[in-house]
Amino acid sequence: MPHLEHDRLVFLALGETTADAAESGHLVDCPSCRTELETLRHVSRLGAQTQDLADLPEPPEHVWQRIVSELDAAAAPAEPSAPPAPAPAPVAVRPRRRARRWAPVVTALAAAVAGVVGTVTVVRLVSPAQPEADVVASAALAAFGDAPADAGGQARVFDDGRLHLHVSGLPRAAGYYQVWLIDPDTMQMFPVGTLADAADVLMPLPTNVDLDAYRLVDVSAEEYDNDPTHSGQSLLRGTLSG
Amino acid sequence: MAMSRVSGDTDDGHRDGRAPAPRGSVTDDQLLAQRFAAGDEKALRQVYDRYGRAVLHLAASTLATRADAEDVVQTTFVAAWLGRDAFDPARGSLLSWLLGIARRKVVDRIRALSREDRVTDSVRQATAAAPAVSPDPAQVVDRLVIADELAALPDEQRRMLELAFFDDLTHQQIAAVTGVPLGTVKSHIRRGMASLRRRWEVDGAASGARPTGLPGTR
Repeated sequence: MPHLEHDRLVFLALGETTADAAESGHLVDCPSCRTELETLRHVSRLGAQTQDLADLPEPPEHVWQRIVSELDAAAAPAEPSAPPAPAPAPVAVRPRRRARRWAPVVTALAAAVAGVVGTVTVVRLVSPAQPEADVVASAALAAFGDAPADAGGQARVFDDGRLHLHVSGLPRAAGYYQVWLIDPDTMQMFPVGTLADAADVLMPLPTNVDLDAYRLVDVSAEEYDNDPTHSGQSLLRGTLSG
Repeated sequence: MAMSRVSGDTDDGHRDGRAPAPRGSVTDDQLLAQRFAAGDEKALRQVYDRYGRAVLHLAASTLATRADAEDVVQTTFVAAWLGRDAFDPARGSLLSWLLGIARRKVVDRIRALSREDRVTDSVRQATAAAPAVSPDPAQVVDRLVIADELAALPDEQRRMLELAFFDDLTHQQIAAVTGVPLGTVKSHIRRGMASLRRRWEVDGAASGARPTGLPGTR
């Protein structure tokens, strides 16, 4: 007997009818028709089980608020790590800027509803470094730990307080890459930002960072484990010098 | 199938009779996934509005308490946003990627809970290894993926399949109920089933439980 027609397999899978003797015989002998029927049966069983998924409850709003807070915290310099020592030169004491990445989004959505164009502040810049900014410190990044030997990169701090990273050869990581500034004397550190797949990333540094102390640039592999501290798996390191 | 569709989501053209974009072109869902992957913060909220309830359903049906389920929703979306670069649309839909992360978070939570159990309740230690009876997360993921695809089908295909699935009607009965010619009913059902089957093969939990979109996990 030839293969069963596809429409016939769909009929059988939906349970509208049962296979006759010839069809049953063919299904025993023919793995391809049998597999096809089993797959269609499975999908139709799943389909029949989707009825009560029609009106699933939304997560309560406080869950969203917690997501926003957690991302906010991830974007800000870590609180527990000692804040970088103030710069030696007398500078006006500025209140520490909390990252407010998310509030503008809400505002922008509200504005969009009202038909107004909202502006979203995006802290994470992926554009290449502006050529006009002056480099105040730089470091060659070399492979560290288990990173492949050809991994490497370059870190530059501009006079506008932003850190530019160029990286290459990073191993594929299960989670994401985190950039840190470390004081090698005390091993105190704070996270600067996460590294996307882009080879070039610009990230703002805290305005009062003391780069003489926090001079070690570190790129680590982090997992999504809810643990904001350094994983201990450094991939690249380099020491800034001006 | 409100599950994957935000109520009041005006960009959802499928509901008011317009066919979804044909396969091969960029659908609303794909566009949203692209904006999400590109780091568009507004897209995160939209992704949450669209898929948050599916993630909550997966967590709530596999974990004992509401608080644990909500925690999983939170950690899933935080991890997804921070790890959005790992999302690869070629490997499957954004929904299935999110559900893959959520499955991992559920497992983490169950492990953490059973550790706590062992510490606080040595009597239950012998039985703590087996988590409370709950549905297989992979099955839940598969149902959510199929529900999402069903919701995205052209109206007529979805309607015919719902009559077959939920009301257990035969092709003839569907033709009689809807007044649609039998041949048309057949072709709607055939095409709808083909879409569901394709989506299940690409996105189903069994076909590639890609926990966090890790490279090489498929």
